Amino acid sequence: MEILSLLGQGFVVASTPLNIALLLMGCFIGTLLGALPGLGPVNGVAVLIPLTFTFGFDATSSMILLCAVYFGCMYGGRISSILLNIPGDEPAIMTTLDGYPMAVQGQAANALAISGVASFVGATIAVIGLSLFAPILARAAIHFGPADYFALYILAFATIGGIAGVDPRKTLLSALIGLMLATVGLDPISGVPRYTFDSFHLYDGIEPIVALVGLFAISEILMLLEKTFKDRPKAIPVGSWLPQWGAIWRTRWAMLRGSGVGFVAGVLPGAGASLGSFMAYVAEKQTSNKKGTFGKGDPRGVAAPEAGNNAASGGALIPMLSLGVPGSGTTAVLLAMLISLNVQPGPLLFERQPDLVWGLVASLYMANVALLILNLPMIGIFTRLMMTPTWALMPIVAAVTFVGVYGISNSVFDLEMMVFFGVIGYLLRKFDVSLVPLVLGLLLGGDMERNLRRAMSISDGDWSILVASPISIGLYILTVFFLALSVWLAVRDHRQTKSERLTEG
Amino acid sequence: MSVRILGVAIFMIAALYTRQAGTYDVSFGDVLGPTVFPIIVGIPMMILSASLVVFPTGQVDWPAPQRMWRQAAALAVLVGFTMTLEPLGFPLATFALITLIGIILGGAPRRAVLLGAIMAPALWALFDQVLGLPLDFLGELFV
Repeated sequence: MEILSLLGQGFVVASTPLNIALLLMGCFIGTLLGALPGLGPVNGVAVLIPLTFTFGFDATSSMILLCAVYFGCMYGGRISSILLNIPGDEPAIMTTLDGYPMAVQGQAANALAISGVASFVGATIAVIGLSLFAPILARAAIHFGPADYFALYILAFATIGGIAGVDPRKTLLSALIGLMLATVGLDPISGVPRYTFDSFHLYDGIEPIVALVGLFAISEILMLLEKTFKDRPKAIPVGSWLPQWGAIWRTRWAMLRGSGVGFVAGVLPGAGASLGSFMAYVAEKQTSNKKGTFGKGDPRGVAAPEAGNNAASGGALIPMLSLGVPGSGTTAVLLAMLISLNVQPGPLLFERQPDLVWGLVASLYMANVALLILNLPMIGIFTRLMMTPTWALMPIVAAVTFVGVYGISNSVFDLEMMVFFGVIGYLLRKFDVSLVPLVLGLLLGGDMERNLRRAMSISDGDWSILVASPISIGLYILTVFFLALSVWLAVRDHRQTKSERLTEG
Repeated sequence: MSVRILGVAIFMIAALYTRQAGTYDVSFGDVLGPTVFPIIVGIPMMILSASLVVFPTGQVDWPAPQRMWRQAAALAVLVGFTMTLEPLGFPLATFALITLIGIILGGAPRRAVLLGAIMAPALWALFDQVLGLPLDFLGELFV
């Protein structure tokens, strides 16, 4: 009951004209960014953050705008998956498997409607889960001391991107580079300038927003220049946008199963929406692929991954809001924005700023309704805008990115820094080094160091305080477990590719 | 091979970083001081990057030389924008940015010029006039 009254207050916060306007704008921009191949949620949110700063929105309004963009991207990604056979963003890859074949068979309207409704079901279930579980987790986390927080951050670094199957050493290195960058600037406790190269621009440290906009948005432009983009495939023409409602109703169980699987994947650290949609698809294929129709245009193969990725993206907000530890790339970027606005996510957020938390949750319920409307009757707009050629789209994105970053502090140095991080981001991506741990390190590094030093001050230099509480010991055990799992997965993949090579030769 | 070079590069940076950490003075009342945390970060970095040199994984497909020139050109345009924004003002610098990136991305030159000529003033009007974010119109051209 307490949750309902808090949620009621949230709806009051979310219903101010400004917040509703931002919500609708975010839903529209998000769906569009998701639908455009090449621009995913991380890039979209990263480009928009500086703009929210520039206009001085408060933390609640900024979060409402950016979460609407985030959710919108998850809805929009499927449009190009189904019509172009190109995923609009990473989580939408699984939707191409059955979505494109459906469109080829003349069922495009059904595929779009099924995936739209599945997105709605998945996202709504995730928001309900968020309203129920996030406060519980926050209440548990209130007992964390400085040493426990240090352990929690270690867990976050060990797990984020770690299950993805790439070399776990690269992931850890990425996190360490982030931590290294976080130590640049005046040391907050002793006032000693560290790694500033005597440049006073660096005394305040590296602004995370500038760094991550460079890492994601600028590196994306460099990545694009590697590909050929002249021969873009034609979209499958859609005769009628009206779906058959019976076809949607038949996929209801696939949607619910996909939502459940995706939600769990989203809450787990380091998983995120891509893994959510992948797991949802695999699980659905195992339970209902009786006649071998999956991959040939089975509607359930569209419903499950779409419900899965939307449920996962909502689920990923839970650890971000209640622990201050993001579970995915986009939530890491959202965390960057909150920290830059002097809002520290974590258990205290629920007590100190219930307006922000519940306003956001309420706005997410509203965003889902708005997105369902945008994505069913108004889908024609997006399919037309989606065909904007890359050569016209990317220069404008670059210009808007520059405007936003310049607007933060009117400093050309920030722009140079952003381009520099763009090159770094591009190089690291070429080496298969995930950028999310780096961003996380840059964001949490300062806090991690402060908690470590606070814990050590309490114990007067005795390192055993780090493993003194059952909470921190439990977190370290989890860390070791996740690290072992990711090493095992990496070794297994390594062997598999080796044996594949052997059988080929 | 590329991965080994990456490992060496990170190792060098981490080694310099760790060495530099030792020079920061420890102050009173702060048990760890500004030194210890960078060392905690630097040492595993050195170990991990060294292991990448010895046991590299993954291969990097570097783009063909022609594509690399395109990337270099785009990068030059981006850096050029940061250098011309204040002297030339937003609309002119942005016109050059949009047109040149558009051409590099394979747009027809005439259409890219048209896009820049429309979008640069439009973005200026949107941000400066409508949204109230101050952007220089002519920079230092006529100062």
